[in-house]
Amino acid sequence: MATIVTNPPETKLNQPAPAGARLFGMLAEFETPGDLMAAAEKVRDAGYKRWDCHTPFAVHGLDGAMGIQRTWLPIFVFFAGATGTIAAFILQAFTNSWSLTTWAGVWVTGYPFLISGKPAMSLPAFIPVMFELTILFSALACVKLMFLFNGLPQLYHPLFKSNRFRRATNDRFFISIEARDPKFLPKKTEEFLRSLDPIAVEAVEE
Amino acid sequence: MGHATTHTDLSSQNIQLPAIALNLRKLAIGVAVVGLGGGAAIGYTGAFGTDAHHFWRAYLIAFLFGLTMCLGGLFFVFVQHLTRAGWSVAVRRPAEALAANLRWIWVLFLPFAALWMMGKANIVWIWADMETLKANNEAEFLIVEAKTAFLNPTFFWIRACVYFVVWAALSHFFLTNSVRQDESGDRAISSRMQKFSAPTAILFGLTITFAAFDWIMSLSPAWFSTMFGVYFFCGCATAGFAMMILITVRLTQVGALKGIVSREHFQDMGKLMWAFGIVFWAYIGFSQYMLIWYANLPEETGWFLARQIGGWGFFSFALLFGHFVLPFVGLLSKWMKRAPLILSIGAVWMLCFHYVDLYWLIMPEIPSDLDTFAKYADMSAKYADTQTHFGNPVNFLLALGVAGTVIAGTISTLSRVALVPKQDPRLAESIRFENM
Repeated sequence: MATIVTNPPETKLNQPAPAGARLFGMLAEFETPGDLMAAAEKVRDAGYKRWDCHTPFAVHGLDGAMGIQRTWLPIFVFFAGATGTIAAFILQAFTNSWSLTTWAGVWVTGYPFLISGKPAMSLPAFIPVMFELTILFSALACVKLMFLFNGLPQLYHPLFKSNRFRRATNDRFFISIEARDPKFLPKKTEEFLRSLDPIAVEAVEE
Repeated sequence: MGHATTHTDLSSQNIQLPAIALNLRKLAIGVAVVGLGGGAAIGYTGAFGTDAHHFWRAYLIAFLFGLTMCLGGLFFVFVQHLTRAGWSVAVRRPAEALAANLRWIWVLFLPFAALWMMGKANIVWIWADMETLKANNEAEFLIVEAKTAFLNPTFFWIRACVYFVVWAALSHFFLTNSVRQDESGDRAISSRMQKFSAPTAILFGLTITFAAFDWIMSLSPAWFSTMFGVYFFCGCATAGFAMMILITVRLTQVGALKGIVSREHFQDMGKLMWAFGIVFWAYIGFSQYMLIWYANLPEETGWFLARQIGGWGFFSFALLFGHFVLPFVGLLSKWMKRAPLILSIGAVWMLCFHYVDLYWLIMPEIPSDLDTFAKYADMSAKYADTQTHFGNPVNFLLALGVAGTVIAGTISTLSRVALVPKQDPRLAESIRFENM
C-alpha cells in the first residue's frame, strides 16, 4: 500500500497501510523526459544500484544516463545460433549420411539414402537447414533470455499500488529507488529525490 | 549522450572540405596516373606474361571495381529518399558526391569502344566475333547463335549508352537538387527527391541487372543465371558502403563534421555494409550455387567448374572466407561498427575482397573441351595446373588506377559543395539520432 509523502491521494484506492507493512522504496515523479534524464544522471552518480526509470516510451540516451551495464544477451545469442548450426549439421549428417547406431533416448540407426545421385555427405544440401536452425535458435534464445534477464513475465509489482504511477504508461516519468539498495535510508533517500526537482515523491510499500 | 545538441556547428570551417584533403586528391591523381599508365605499359609490353586477353579482362575488372563503388553510393542516396530516412541526412552528401562520379565514368569504358573498333572485341567478349567462335567451339556457337537478337554489338552499345545516360542523369539529379536546397532551404526539393526515388529504384534495378548480364555474364555467353543481377547488386552495395564509410571517417579525421557525424552514423553504415555486402552477398551467392549444383545441368555447371579447377579451387574458398565468414564474425558486434578505426579496417578489407569477387567472376574460363571427358577426375587432372594469375601487378595497377580516379573525382565534387545538406529539414533529427 502506498503512503503518500507529498500530495494527498486523489482516489480512494489507497487504503491505509496495514501495520508492519515493509517499505518497497521511494518513487519520484517527473514531468518531462529531460527532467528525468537529468535526475537519472544524479541518481547514478549518487551510487544507487537497485533503482529504475519508468517511462511511457523509449527515451534515447537513458541507458547512458542510468549507467546501465552492457548486456550479455548478444553473447548468449551468438552461441545459441552456433548451437543451431551444429545441431542442424549433426541432424542431417546422422539421418542422411551415417549408418551409425546411437542412443538418443531410444536406440536409433542412421539410414543413408541416395538423393538425386549426390554423395551421402553433401554439405551444400545441408546449408539451407543449417541456416534456418541458426536463425531459429538465435531468435528463440534471444526472446527467452530477454524475458529471463528482465525477470519477465512479472504479473505483480509493488509500484502498481501507487496511483500516481498509473501515469507511467501515459504522460509521466518516474524514478524508483528500492529499499533493498545498500545506500537506501528512508529519510535521506527521500530528501535526495526531492533535491532532484520532481513533481512529487512518495514512499511505496510492499 | 542524453542531452540533445542545442547548437550545431554549421560554420563553413566545419562543413567545407579542409585544405588538407586536397593533398589526398593530389595523391589519388598520382595513383591514378601511375596505376593506369603502369597497367597500360605492362599490357603493351607484355611484361609478367601478360597477354592481351589477361590485360583487357583485368581492365574490365578494374573498371567495374570503380563503377560499383559509385553505383553503391547512388543506391544509398535513393534508398534514403525512398524510405524518407531521417538518420542518414548527416552522411548523405559523401554518398551523393561518390555517386556523382557516374556523370563521367563512361570515359573509362571508352577503351572498350576502341577495342571494338579495332575489331578485337572478342578478346574479352567471345560472342563479338561469331565466326571465330564457330571455328573454335561449334557447340557453344550453336547456343550463342540463338541469343544474337540480344547479344549483338549494335544492341550491346545502345544498352551501354542507356546505362551511362541513366546513371549520369540520376546521380546528377540527386546531387544538384540536394545542393540547391543548401542555398534555398526549400522543403519542396525534399519532396521532389522523394517522389523521384521510386522510379529511380526501378531504373537502377533494371540498368544494373542488364549491365551485369552484358559486361560480366556474357563473358561466358552460353551460360545463364537469372540471379546474376542481384549478385552484382550485392557487389555494388559492398563497394559503395565501404567507400562511404572510408570517406566519412576520413572527413572526421581531418577535422570536419564535428558534432554532426557520430558513432551512431558509423554503426548504421556498418550495419548496411554488413547486411548487404556480407550476409546478402553470401545468401545470393549460395542460392545461385545451390540451384546449379543441385540440378546438375551440364550447360550450367561448367561455370562453377571453371572456378574449382587448378588454382581457382583455393581462390573460391578464399573468397568464401574473406568475403563472408571472417567479416561476418568480425563485424557482427555493434562495438566493432561503432569504432571508426575498426570499421575502416573492415571497409578496406571488404573493398579488397570485392576486388577478389570481381576477379573470380571475370577471370576464369570454362574449358572448351568439357564434353570429351568421361569423368570429373580426368578433367580435374588435366586442368590441375590452371593458374589464377592473381599476383600479376597489372591487376593491382589498373584497379588502383581506376579507384584513384574515382577518389579524386569524389574529392573534387566535395570541394565544391558543403559536406552536409545543411538546410535539409531532417538534418537536426539526423544529428540527434541514437541507436540505443
